[in-house]
Amino acid sequence: MVYPQEQVDELKRYASKVGALTEGNEIYILLEELRLPEGCEPASCDALLRPFKGADGYPSQLYFSVLVKSPYSRNWNIVDARICERNWFAFSWNVNVMSPTLVKILLAHLSGFTKEK
Amino acid sequence: MENNEVDIFEFAQRGEDVPEARAYHVRIDGEKFRIDTAHPTGEMLLAKVGKRPCAFELIEEFVHRENDVVEPDEEVDLRKKGLKGFITAHKEIVTIFINGEPYRIERGDRTVKEILDKVNETPEGYILLEEKNGPPMPLPTDKPVRIRGCEVFHTQAQSGGSS
Repeated sequence: MVYPQEQVDELKRYASKVGALTEGNEIYILLEELRLPEGCEPASCDALLRPFKGADGYPSQLYFSVLVKSPYSRNWNIVDARICERNWFAFSWNVNVMSPTLVKILLAHLSGFTKEK
Repeated sequence: MENNEVDIFEFAQRGEDVPEARAYHVRIDGEKFRIDTAHPTGEMLLAKVGKRPCAFELIEEFVHRENDVVEPDEEVDLRKKGLKGFITAHKEIVTIFINGEPYRIERGDRTVKEILDKVNETPEGYILLEEKNGPPMPLPTDKPVRIRGCEVFHTQAQSGGSS
């Protein structure tokens, strides 16, 4: 994986398995059984972290394998996006992390489940 | 029990001095433990019952005197006359850890704001993460956080919003 190993290792606390998936020249991070914040249903699911700017204009994106129920309703504006030969879902959440690391980006996206706006 | 192991409770009941011994049998919350030194610290004794000073205090119980609180780093003299054992009590003001530093806070339901106040941060500027049975995870800003003592929190600058 092209990402710093220590940052990838930090992600391993959040998922049962961390791997890389390539599409074109871009490397996504697959987080198998990613733990989700308390109150989410399901409590974990597979996720795909895109820690780089995409065609959607967002500096990063976290895709989920299912539509997650959370204490706050979210605008799931990406439904069944086909990436790395799987379908993914994502809600509208713009993240701009100062001094980003992979875990900081992940947590910034997950915080979308825990606040109203 | 071997000859050079003594039960301090029995000596306290008889009003006798506790002799020097290889090990001391001590009651903590009614459960008996073998202690290899006459001068354990409060923290060491609390650990015997699986408790930590960030949430619990240790109290010496005597036969004919009032109880005394033992500080975590205080050395107890197990040969002190009349000392019959120890009890533990949940503290009202407990210690939590935020970004690796200890902070004192009242036990019970606290708001995210109250916790972030400890590190001069606000919910508008920071996410509060709790490390509980796993990695640090973001906490909802509008729900109370149950504080029992020893909780571990982290903060991260707010960097996301609905778009």
